[in-house]
Amino acid sequence: MSRPEEIYVVGCGMHPFGRDESVSGMDMAERAIREALADAGVAWADIGYAAGGSDVSGKPDTLVGRLGLTGVPFVNVQNGCATGASTVLAVANALRAGEASLGLAVGFDKHERGAFHVSAARYGLGDWYAETGMMLTTQFFALKTQRYLHEYAIGERALAMVAARAFRNGSRHPLAWRRKELTEEEILGSAEVSPPLTQYMFCSPGQGAAALVLARGDRAFDLCERPVKLASLAFRTRRFGSFEVFAPWLPPGPHRSPSVDAAEAVFRGAGLRPSDVQVAQLQDTDSGSELIHLAETGLCGHGEQPDLLASGATDPTGRIPVNTDGGCLAGGEPVGASGLRQFHEVVRQLQGRAPGEQVPGGPRVGFTHVYGAPGISACAVLTV
Amino acid sequence: MTTRLIDESLFDGADPPRLVGARCTGCRTVVFPRQDSCPRCSDGAMTAHVLPDSGEIWSWTVQSFRPKEPYRPPAVGHQPYALGYVDLGEILVEARLDIPRRLIRIGLPVRLTTVEAYRDEDGTRILTFAFGSAAEDER
Repeated sequence: MSRPEEIYVVGCGMHPFGRDESVSGMDMAERAIREALADAGVAWADIGYAAGGSDVSGKPDTLVGRLGLTGVPFVNVQNGCATGASTVLAVANALRAGEASLGLAVGFDKHERGAFHVSAARYGLGDWYAETGMMLTTQFFALKTQRYLHEYAIGERALAMVAARAFRNGSRHPLAWRRKELTEEEILGSAEVSPPLTQYMFCSPGQGAAALVLARGDRAFDLCERPVKLASLAFRTRRFGSFEVFAPWLPPGPHRSPSVDAAEAVFRGAGLRPSDVQVAQLQDTDSGSELIHLAETGLCGHGEQPDLLASGATDPTGRIPVNTDGGCLAGGEPVGASGLRQFHEVVRQLQGRAPGEQVPGGPRVGFTHVYGAPGISACAVLTV
Repeated sequence: MTTRLIDESLFDGADPPRLVGARCTGCRTVVFPRQDSCPRCSDGAMTAHVLPDSGEIWSWTVQSFRPKEPYRPPAVGHQPYALGYVDLGEILVEARLDIPRRLIRIGLPVRLTTVEAYRDEDGTRILTFAFGSAAEDER
């Protein structure tokens, strides 16, 4: 029997990711919210607490003008790649504290084309850093991946295997953006961005929205046939000695990522181990990031990735399916929405109604992981 | 032709210029550029600290596409350029690499130099720090 202070996902909705000039970020958010409410079988007026996040596409709480002016408390979150997880954290904590019994989390974004535009001053750096061409997220991912491949003697083909699987999964997913399968050769042979990473090893800024309805344990099973328990959620910023984006300097190693801290905390909170995970979402801004995150979250050991990938273990039919919806590589990266896309996919997998390829055998333990600037990570464990 | 360093606060004022960071009087952590507080400990004051001028490549990559503004391309226009982290022992510094790509590898010994970042409106050559091959330097 569920306890009241346990938090469950009882509904989810998502606007397809990609490029669609006919809709705004708010339009997509509204559609995702209405879909999540319908999925839970509740009305907007039933929502007692809400949190929303967007990096560049407007103030989320203004959505009440479209959904209904019910007076609901609505918190805005702007937390980089951890925006989605932060909205879930805000809602879950409010429900746990007894502020409401039903809550809603939404994330959305619509970015301009091309690499993210960044300001040195916003990150506390001098203009020289951007003027001399060192302030690019793509460079950081390449530099971290280059060093990682060197330290663990991993070949570049592993990077292509990650991307090929992402596009294969994306080709079978109705909500993904990139729906064309690519071979490892096509990926390795695509235009160089920053070695060892090529064009098809990177995700692109895009657009999309996703929303969840969360409920306290005493309501969840009345509302939903198969509610998914939020077993644990952990959010961490960097500690001294991490290797982060936009870093003019690093201390001598070893470098410890906030992903390691967040993953350790989330598994401790859930009372489970990484080896218990049966469907996982990992931040795959690029192939190298997913490769590294596989080990940083504990899903495999450092250096084990090439064998794991080659054996098909991370495919939907494998031992530890990763990014079954194609992740950021196939979905694109609308910063405010990606974290909730991860929840959407894992929830649907655990409920046995995946929009794309369903992981066979009735998975019961799911995992999500995001990582972003300036050194933040959030992980969740979801169970049925 | 006149030249100018891109940001005086990064350098020590000597010729040739050396990079200047800061060191914590408490935990001895070295940072770059200078900052007034220590990111590691809350004790200790930060004092100016000239960084070593040679080390080895710790990681590297190439910037292929032209970055968006506020990047300022050189007078000849954007050309792919190499950059990386250089291990100076007490700190790793991110810098442009003034080394032919075929020679770049992790572990390569390198030495501090300067390269032209861009030209100002009045034609002044704006220099930034970079690392070149230490072997080439000794030749």
